[in-house]
Amino acid sequence: MFDHIERFYRPTTLREALLLLRKVGKHGRIVAGATDIVTQADRSSRFLIDINHVGLNYVRGNKRGCLIGAATTMAEIEHSPVTLAFAGGILAKAASTCGSIQNRNMATVGGNIANASPAADTAVVLLVLDTQVRVANSRRSRNIALTEFYSGPHQTVLNGDLLEEIVIPALPGGGRLGWSFQKLGRTETDISLVNAAAGLQIDPRGRIKWGRIALGAVGPTPMRARNAEGLLLGNRFSEELLARAGEAVMREVNPIGDGRASAEYRREMSGVLARRALHECASQAGCKQ
Amino acid sequence: MSDFYLDFIVNGETKHWTIAPGDLLLDVLRREGYFGVKRGCETGECGACTVLVNGKPINSCVMFAAQAEGCEVLTIEGVAEGDKLDPLQEAFLEYGAVQCGYCTPGMILSAKALLAEHPDPTEAQVREALAGNFCRCTGYLKPAEAIMAAARVYRNVRPSSARAKAERRSALHGKKR
Repeated sequence: MFDHIERFYRPTTLREALLLLRKVGKHGRIVAGATDIVTQADRSSRFLIDINHVGLNYVRGNKRGCLIGAATTMAEIEHSPVTLAFAGGILAKAASTCGSIQNRNMATVGGNIANASPAADTAVVLLVLDTQVRVANSRRSRNIALTEFYSGPHQTVLNGDLLEEIVIPALPGGGRLGWSFQKLGRTETDISLVNAAAGLQIDPRGRIKWGRIALGAVGPTPMRARNAEGLLLGNRFSEELLARAGEAVMREVNPIGDGRASAEYRREMSGVLARRALHECASQAGCKQ
Repeated sequence: MSDFYLDFIVNGETKHWTIAPGDLLLDVLRREGYFGVKRGCETGECGACTVLVNGKPINSCVMFAAQAEGCEVLTIEGVAEGDKLDPLQEAFLEYGAVQCGYCTPGMILSAKALLAEHPDPTEAQVREALAGNFCRCTGYLKPAEAIMAAARVYRNVRPSSARAKAERRSALHGKKR
């Protein structure tokens, strides 16, 4: 099936991987978990570069936030004490729904982001955490906001560069926080029909200081629902506010219909999941319901 | 194309195989006669091709063989000790958990990994461990019962080592969700 692969490289340093990537150019493909590459129709690559041995396998937390190496597996994120404790554990929760145990032992967070599936479960969580991705080539590296990283379904601005690290900034202080990840799929480990994540901060006077909402599988890329977020600002949490935010989300999304769900159903569910997510955030942040 | 080698361990035996750089682990294992590794969906969904790589269950149909370099692989062929079946294999027979048998190797390997980490699993943990192994004959009740029964046998056979391992793990990682 992969008869056309001429070389399988196993670099042992990031530098070596980046030089190889430069050498093979557009004929090369990065391998981390391989679960997406093997199942995709694209057979154009002649060279594979395995980045599992270049030191990109870590989860580090400190006062400045959380750094996750691109080759860290979903299983590792699911069980890491750092991700379990960070932002209500929503990244660990999302990772635990990315396929079966067999897939989670191989699939990596870098792959989940770099493959740019509109339904990627970790993407919506990373979007509400205001994540940046560190992207490198043999000459330089730079940080890109995840919101700027996607350019279409299965398309990114990587342009041959390597996704090296997930950079999650420290959570904002000065108020009570709540976080949520919601997934709708045929089974708990299936690809999402719709997924959503949200974050909320309540100021000392009981008003919403900011709210963040992200949706997946309802547009060409995972997306933030900025209009709905705007509605929340400065308001007290109420069922009425929640309903308005849910309706705003439904107006903002742009789903397609496919074998799994119709566009109408996805739109309806985007509102439901956004409301559920905000509800969970609000109760974590101690709002009276 | 220059020769490309895979050096790794299969069922405790050191192997030095010539492979193509794009070979999948499933294809290489079957080519070398490990037919207990079943070819199913070939998209990482059904779990029939499950093997343990360094103790962890993975779908060998979505893993390049070259990724297994230096690893220890366990297939169903390496689970019994000679003629003596593993308690999991005994329990699958005893509980009628095998019908056509195609999913069985994968299920037993998933269960083996589960019991290594959780010697006293809840039924929910057993069911989650089987979530990546599809059965189209009997369903999951009997395999789940068989795994719970095998867990009891394992615990009686070597309670000290299994318990000690579990305690070490929980001390390291704190309480699991």
